[in-house]
Amino acid sequence: MNIINNWIYTAIAAGVVSIAAALSLYFWVMKQEPGTERAQEVASWIKAGANAYLVKLYRSLGILALVIGLIIAIIFSIQPETAGAGIVTLYFRKGITMSLCFIFGAFSSAIAGYLGMRVAVEANVRTATAANFSLSKAFKLSFNAGAVLGLAMVGMAIIGMSAILLWTGTPEAVLGFSFGASILALLAKAGGGIYTKTADIAADLVGKIEVGIPEDDPRNPAVVADNVGDNVGDVAGMGADIFDSYVASAVAVMVLGASIGFTQAEQLKYTVVPLVLCMLGIVASLIGISLVRVKEGQKPGPALNRGTIITTIIFAIFLFVFVRFWDVNPGVFWAGLTGLIAGVVIGITSDYFTNDQFKPVQETARVSSSGSAINIITGYSYGLISIVPSVIGIAAATLISFYASEHFGLSGVYGIGISAVGMLSISGMIVSADAYGPIVDNARGIAEMAGMDHEVIVRADELDAAGNTAKAITKGFSIGAAALTVIALFAAYAEVIADSGVMIAISLKEPLVVAGVFLGAMTPPLFSALLMLAVTENAFGMIEETRRQFREEPGILAGTHTPDYARLVSLASEGALTSLATPAFLAVGLPLLVGFVLGPNALGGFLGGAIFVGVIFALLMSNAGGLWDNAKKYIETGKFGGPGSDAHKAAVVGDTVGDPFKDTAGPSINTLITVMSLVSSLFAPLIAAFHLFG
Amino acid sequence: MAIHLYLSLMPEALIASMLGPEEFGTYYSVGSVKKARGQAMFFEVDPRYRHPYFRTEEAFARCVPHEDGSLKASVYISVYRVLEHIDLNALQHLYLSTMDGRTLELNPDNEIPNGTDQLHLYHEIAPVTPLVVSRLGPLQFLDQLVRNPVSLITVPAIAFTELQLGELAEDPEMGLMENLPYENQDHLRQCLTDIKTKYATTKMVNRSHSPNVQYRTIKNGFFVGNTKQLRYFPMPSAEEIRTNNYRWFRSANM
Repeated sequence: MNIINNWIYTAIAAGVVSIAAALSLYFWVMKQEPGTERAQEVASWIKAGANAYLVKLYRSLGILALVIGLIIAIIFSIQPETAGAGIVTLYFRKGITMSLCFIFGAFSSAIAGYLGMRVAVEANVRTATAANFSLSKAFKLSFNAGAVLGLAMVGMAIIGMSAILLWTGTPEAVLGFSFGASILALLAKAGGGIYTKTADIAADLVGKIEVGIPEDDPRNPAVVADNVGDNVGDVAGMGADIFDSYVASAVAVMVLGASIGFTQAEQLKYTVVPLVLCMLGIVASLIGISLVRVKEGQKPGPALNRGTIITTIIFAIFLFVFVRFWDVNPGVFWAGLTGLIAGVVIGITSDYFTNDQFKPVQETARVSSSGSAINIITGYSYGLISIVPSVIGIAAATLISFYASEHFGLSGVYGIGISAVGMLSISGMIVSADAYGPIVDNARGIAEMAGMDHEVIVRADELDAAGNTAKAITKGFSIGAAALTVIALFAAYAEVIADSGVMIAISLKEPLVVAGVFLGAMTPPLFSALLMLAVTENAFGMIEETRRQFREEPGILAGTHTPDYARLVSLASEGALTSLATPAFLAVGLPLLVGFVLGPNALGGFLGGAIFVGVIFALLMSNAGGLWDNAKKYIETGKFGGPGSDAHKAAVVGDTVGDPFKDTAGPSINTLITVMSLVSSLFAPLIAAFHLFG
Repeated sequence: MAIHLYLSLMPEALIASMLGPEEFGTYYSVGSVKKARGQAMFFEVDPRYRHPYFRTEEAFARCVPHEDGSLKASVYISVYRVLEHIDLNALQHLYLSTMDGRTLELNPDNEIPNGTDQLHLYHEIAPVTPLVVSRLGPLQFLDQLVRNPVSLITVPAIAFTELQLGELAEDPEMGLMENLPYENQDHLRQCLTDIKTKYATTKMVNRSHSPNVQYRTIKNGFFVGNTKQLRYFPMPSAEEIRTNNYRWFRSANM
């Protein structure tokens, strides 16, 4: 018991070290030169817009968290075993504990996201200023700023999970923490995704296409909202998304670990193993992050990839040492290693479909000269093909981790969960590389808007190109991780249901299960459609406002009048937040509806349908969107007629279609399936006790 | 207050203005409340230049500040047959404005390129706007347009630019069209093949081509000539523009 507690304390200590490192990097970033008055003025617009959005988002989420927290407190105070007998016994302590864990989860994710955003909007202008001097200096600054989010996120997550386990002694309470993080992630990712694409489309369609002004031109009224969108979508949104998967994978394994072995000591050990893996991942990430640097004349992309590979190798060594010397089943090593390798492989294959060095992007660009329809059909088809390697990777990771674990006498499902944890354990490094992207993207925008020298913009472009690759890899990585996580969560759901005396029996001969599968399969497409419609509806309003400003104030285009940026920022914020109600209901309400009405087996089928279709949709949308984007950029390098050619015009249409695919709907589906799996696991005892059919 | 005289090529017009070239370029391409806007190309003409065809003095007299003190942006002197009535030596600089109002100044040069070995693509800008391919170099091409005694179709003066053909200039059938954003590429190849293999030296690709020019496709510069004179305004290289006029470089999508 003492050894177990020591591991938990050590995990908390690792979390504290991670947060301390994040804070130290934050203060280092803040000490850097903030640049000219003009650059600071431009940055202040972005900062104010981002803060305004976050205040609105967190205010709405705060209210939502309190309402859901209250519902959880009431529902979990009811003891289901006695409910069927007509006598309802109330255990307020359990209800309040679950409620507090839920609120703590949402709060921790919000804090990590806020810190990441805060440093991102400070680092962007400093990166632009540093790019005045050298590429290596600008790279160091932007990567360190990205690491603030990466390290804060994993630090908050491990402290939260460990503290709750220590306090309650039960991994089911950690489910509440994870549910809180997931709800926040769902709304932050979907809201940020709607915001960023709404602003991007408005800025591009009116500014670039109708008016003819270049990207990031300060005369474009939507340009600040566009830059704010990079932060709220790619920093806060992606951070919350990976925080969610990180916690969900660990908690699923903790729940499964609690039922492994014959002795309580063994159960406790396997409950704590995912926390130890997260801790080892944090240490590996800290080392990896400290080794990422670029010398003058070197490219930033390989430096980021090197950091990820070094972190992966270090973690694999730590994992081996841990398993070897702490009497842990060797299946844990092989499952963790499988997940780790699968994560990297899935990330790299995503890159194949979105990188202009390879056939899919080049071919989509080539056929664009035949028009936008051919561009879209080709890009969509490659998007569909891109599912194949990732799905094979997920299937291979599932099978290898399962059978490797079984081979060593460990639960196969536990092994699948460990592979998800293994994949996500290096999230500190992955998120650092991912958050670097929007920071350098913003830095480039600020350099343009502040009228900095073109050398600065050339350097910012070089930094930005590396950020795009990191972003593509992270998307593939996060989808792969989410897939393995939800498989583990599904098993956790079955485990919790079994603890309530109901054995899950999912057979396609059962009409209720079939109905559940269909309803589950319907949910990701419906969710995607709602988010994309929100983008088009909000973009419509923003486009009209952008046009109105250009029309009514000719001085904007002449450069003698400053546009009303705040109006567009406000429109984007309001539009994003008001569009979230129905998608949020789908994620939380629909599984509960299916569970309470059609029963636990149907809910199992529902989760299965949602998971499989969700993974397919997430991969398709993320990869097809990235492919269309890069096909357009490939043509802009002069291929197939270059900018202004028929091919380019067609590719611009494809890119615009792909924007909400890759940055709104695609990445949000990860969170959707995680939230639905967590809701099901969390409410499983109640569903087992109260359901209409089945 | 100085009054400037501008010869716009799109549309062909002579304009008096109180705005300097950059301000005029912004005004002319970005538009005013009248919503007239788009790419602009114009010469600055010596303000002392006079020709009986133009009522220049009358226009200068009207070119006074508005009641609110703002400068008079434009007084149109003529919107027809301007080029043919201008002494080309009165042209001082050529200005290229982008759709969003950035303006680049081009200075005249006496060294006129006249490569004849390759095929050429000419974009006529004023007074007519066809897209033409030819075996003739710019000087011979101008000659054919304004001085050819056997041609049924000549113009008194013309402004045109030569566009890049890349590998098509040597090999119209198989050459790659890298970074050439032209429409109807198969037709362009066919026209080039025709002039290479048949008797005709010149062939029309598009009889009513858009007067807008994608600046990044310009091969060497702008030519303006009549029966007696020829002026050439070379286009700086993309690298020079990027270094010296980054805003214009970005705006022109170079």
